[in-house]
Amino acid sequence: MNSGLFLGLSPLLVVSLGGLLLMVAEAFSKRRVDETSDDRDAGPSSELSLGTAVTLLAGAVFAAAIWFVGPEKLEGASSVAPWVIVDRFTLFFSFVLCLGGALAALLAGGYLPEHRLDRGEFYPLIIFSTVGAMILASAGDLLSLFLGLETMSLGVYAMVGFRRASLRSTEAAVKYFLLGSFAAALLLYGGALLYGATGHTDLAGIREAIANMQPGKGSNFALVITAAVLIIVGLAFKVSAVPFHMWTPDAYEGAPTPTTTYMAVAVKCAAFATMLRVLIGAFGEGGLESWAAGWPPVVALLAVLTMTVANLVAGQQESVKRMLAYSSIAHAGYVLVGVVATMRAGGDAQGSVMFYLLTYTVSTVGAFGALILMGSRGAEAVSYEDLAGVGKRHPAAGFAFSLFLLSLAGVPPTAGFFGKLYIVKASIGAGLYPLAIILLLNSVISAYYYLRVMVYMYMREPAPGAPIAKPMRSGYVATALVVAGVLVLVLGLWPTTSLQIAVEAALATR
Amino acid sequence: MNKVELAYFGLCSLIALLGAVVTVGAKNPIRGAMGLLSTIIGIAGLYLMLAAEFLAAIQLLVYAGAVVILFLFVIMLLGPSAQSKRDARGAVARYVGAAALLVSGLGAMALVMRTKSVTPTALPAVPPQFGTIESIGHELFSTALVPFELSGALLLVAVIGAVAVARGKQVDPTLLPAADAKSSQTSAPTAGQTKEARS
Repeated sequence: MNSGLFLGLSPLLVVSLGGLLLMVAEAFSKRRVDETSDDRDAGPSSELSLGTAVTLLAGAVFAAAIWFVGPEKLEGASSVAPWVIVDRFTLFFSFVLCLGGALAALLAGGYLPEHRLDRGEFYPLIIFSTVGAMILASAGDLLSLFLGLETMSLGVYAMVGFRRASLRSTEAAVKYFLLGSFAAALLLYGGALLYGATGHTDLAGIREAIANMQPGKGSNFALVITAAVLIIVGLAFKVSAVPFHMWTPDAYEGAPTPTTTYMAVAVKCAAFATMLRVLIGAFGEGGLESWAAGWPPVVALLAVLTMTVANLVAGQQESVKRMLAYSSIAHAGYVLVGVVATMRAGGDAQGSVMFYLLTYTVSTVGAFGALILMGSRGAEAVSYEDLAGVGKRHPAAGFAFSLFLLSLAGVPPTAGFFGKLYIVKASIGAGLYPLAIILLLNSVISAYYYLRVMVYMYMREPAPGAPIAKPMRSGYVATALVVAGVLVLVLGLWPTTSLQIAVEAALATR
Repeated sequence: MNKVELAYFGLCSLIALLGAVVTVGAKNPIRGAMGLLSTIIGIAGLYLMLAAEFLAAIQLLVYAGAVVILFLFVIMLLGPSAQSKRDARGAVARYVGAAALLVSGLGAMALVMRTKSVTPTALPAVPPQFGTIESIGHELFSTALVPFELSGALLLVAVIGAVAVARGKQVDPTLLPAADAKSSQTSAPTAGQTKEARS
């Protein structure tokens, strides 16, 4: 039959199939949660975590393989377009999403048994949320875009509320669920208006219809603008841009940390992939891409607000997890600067955005993973005080945390440095000097709260009688940290190859 | 749109909108559920007008027949505790939010109205068998096969999510610090506190 089609869809198919198999394996497995037992290897995590990571990595490997074959050579893969578009852009994001998901699954393998949450459902949720995220990144039609968004979000809502015994986790889940559904409804409303105005649901058709539209009396241009506003708001919710970020700190703090990692990494990357596809694919012509009458000033305003507010608030947090939540909002702001730059600087700027998302993925997984590693049963490391002196008592864990924090702060030779550098370069290339300056100022502010963690780890001693964080022992978390750490260093020392790949992927959407 | 159609459209929209207002505004949850029912019926009427008979029937069967009944069951199981107490906190913020939403909605409407004739010509004409079960089935398994398959993944993830949330333990309120539930903004739990109930 049509082998090109199956090969083209193989990252999606492999991950879905692996997820189904793991579900069956879990159902027949003898391993069950025993709340009273102290044996951390008795639960389902011990086999599912690795299985999930392998499944997702297989998806990433398939995506990489198709990249080398060349997606344009696959005959028949275009027959599923525009529902699912198989191009280099899709493959790049499939790779990043699978990588983020796999690392989050490894973190869960250590975290869930440690904190008595060891229930097998977590892993299928990660896998199928990733499937949704991959659909989202590859969708060329508003219908499949919405389906992907909902698939991803529903899984994540359940993962946020996974710690049912905690009111805070439930509160986080309800908050995220309500606001997320509201955002999805706005997006859907925007899509419906767009269909009414243009007669198309596929992004290419919408772009063409908008390009042929004459602004002024008797045209549907007003309807298009209304739709564009609704869609941008819906996507801004998902990437948690200020002022649509209210849910983020609570949801990130209340969720189990592997879920937080997954949200910060995969959900955000997929939302940015959609944002790029929609803003450039659908709203890239007909005046909507201009600085005078289009989306760039709106997105630029969002970017400035997001960076500034998030960094100022992050510095005041007493909880490291909450600080990392605000830091992820701030990073969304940096990416938005790159998104604005794409309308003038083109493929290079879009490549820098995608490269940034890759570096952000590995650094964030590492930072949350190190925070997971610092805590153990009954003593989860949350606040700055919990971390006092950890760097001296447990040098390896302290070193790992420091490395990822430096990468998030953008210090060379880590991946985060080049991520920021290329975004700044792209925005200067696009003539957006104020945005570049605000970005640089903000990364100076951000250094304060990242370094504060290191100050606590290395230069403070815990107050007498204060609770002391005991790092957990988990091969899964350690593996995830080593993989993320190596990637942070490799991307930081040899960034050009991956940047070229990102630019090549970006050109596929233009 | 002729006059009869216009009147029918107005009637259905009125039923739907009034129902929505009642749903949001009613203090009594039963009344809220009934408002939801009226919204659903109004929307089903609008579907009929769009020649989507099958969708209208499904709307009535699934939403009015199953979902609202489920809501009513839950409300009745909860009994008097389903009635929310009068909550004055954040009332101003709520009214400001509602006003902002109303203003932006009206603004968008004005924007669309101002560009007088919004031409519906962009949409293709409806084929005669549109909206019947046969044509929907044909569409689902030919042009829209991919989204149809994707919705399988959506349903699967919803089922797993429901199981994951339902299988968790119940909260034991006695084990929770009083501040935990409310002030997540300020309180930063430290490692020593067993902040989560692990009964």
